[in-house]
Amino acid sequence: MERKHFLKSLLAGVAGAPALLAACSKESVAPASTTGTTTTGTTGTTTSSCAVAPTETEGPFPTHVPSSYVRADITDGKAGYALTATLTITNSTASCAPLAGVLVDIWHCDAEGNYSEYGGSGMQSTNYTAVHFLRGRQTTDAQGQVTFKSVFPGWYSGRATHIHVHVYSATGTSLKVTQIAFPEGTGTAVAAVNGYAKGLSGYTSNASDNVFSDGVALELAAVTGTTTAGFQLAIALAVPA
Amino acid sequence: MLPRTITFCYRKVLDAAAGAAPSWDQLVLAATYAEFRLQAQTLDPARRYRTLAELLQHVPGAERLHFLVSAAVRGYLAQLEGWVPDVLDNLGRRALRFTQFQFELLSADVLDPTRHRVAISFYSEPLHWHATVGTYLLVAEPGPPAPSGEILTRLVSLQPYLSIHSLSPAE
Repeated sequence: MERKHFLKSLLAGVAGAPALLAACSKESVAPASTTGTTTTGTTGTTTSSCAVAPTETEGPFPTHVPSSYVRADITDGKAGYALTATLTITNSTASCAPLAGVLVDIWHCDAEGNYSEYGGSGMQSTNYTAVHFLRGRQTTDAQGQVTFKSVFPGWYSGRATHIHVHVYSATGTSLKVTQIAFPEGTGTAVAAVNGYAKGLSGYTSNASDNVFSDGVALELAAVTGTTTAGFQLAIALAVPA
Repeated sequence: MLPRTITFCYRKVLDAAAGAAPSWDQLVLAATYAEFRLQAQTLDPARRYRTLAELLQHVPGAERLHFLVSAAVRGYLAQLEGWVPDVLDNLGRRALRFTQFQFELLSADVLDPTRHRVAISFYSEPLHWHATVGTYLLVAEPGPPAPSGEILTRLVSLQPYLSIHSLSPAE
C-alpha cells in the first residue's frame, strides 16, 4: 500500500513540475516540495499505511556547477616532473588571429602511461570526490591562450609522448581534435625524463608513431626546462573557426 | 543475533520528465547532455553518428563515454552533501549516506536533447540490518553502541529503484 502511495506521490511530483513551470516564474520550487506538501496532510490520518513524510530541509537550491574538467591544474596528485603547458589557439580562416573564448580540452597519460578511467572496466562505481586525473578544460583568453599545470606525460607501447587536445567553439562545436608531439633526441625533455621508471627501451619515436609519422611540423611543441625546475611547453595551434 | 551488514543501491533515472524548471534533476540532465555532445565529437570527429546507440555500435572505445561524461555530474553530487537523494526513512528524513556512485548514459542524441536519459546509481555506506519490521528494514550505522548500550536505528522501506546491493554475513 505504501509503495502505491510512494509511486503516487512520485507521480504527483513529476506531473506537478510542468504545471508549476507554467504557473510561476523561474522561482518555482523543486518537485520534491510538492511531494512533501501532499504527504504532510495525510500523515497521521492513516495508521495502517504510513505515507512517506517530507524531507524537512530542502537544502540550498541547486545551482549550476561547471564540469569537473574545468580547471587549470590537472595534476590531481599524480607523481611526475612538473609541466606547464601553454596553448595558443589561432584562427586559420582569419589570418591566424588569436581565438578568444573557445574551449580547450587536454588529456594525457600519467608517468606510468595510464589514462584516468574507472579501473579499466569503465563502469564500476567510484567515489564522487575522486577526479578525472590529467584531464582539463579551459577557455581561451583575449590572446587565445590557455595554461594548464600538469606533470610530464609518460609513454606507453606503440605511441610517442603526446598530449591530446580538443578545441571547441564557445557553443561546443568541435573545431579540431589533435595531439601535441614532443621534440625527441639528445638534450630534449623526453630524453631528460627518460620515460620515468620505464626507461626508453621500446619507445616509439615520432617518425614511427602512426599519428605523427606523417610529419609533426604543425603539432610539435617547444619544450624547455629541467627535471628539477619543471618543464614549460608552448605550442600554437591554428584551427578553422 | 549479530546483525548482517548491507549496502543499498538507489538508481535514479533522469530524463525529460524532469521538466524545464531549474531543479537538480534538470541541471544534471542539461550538464550531462552538454558534456555528451562535447565528448561525442572527440570519439567521432567526422560526426557520422548522432545517437549513443550508434556510437556504441560503431566507434571503438565509445563505452568510455559513460566515464567521460560523468565529470559533468560530480559537482552536482557534491551538492547532495553525501546524502542519497529521494530515499527517506519513515520519519521523512534522508536515510542513506553515500560516497560511491556510478553514472550511465541510457540514451542520448547529439541533435535532440529531449531523448537524453541518464541514470545515477548511489551506493550507500554500509549499515547494520538488525531486523525487518513489516515492510521496513531496521538499520543502524555500524559502530559501537552508546555507553547506555542502545543503538540508534531508523526504518527504511524498499521502494522502486532502491535495492540491497551487497550483504555481508554477521561477523
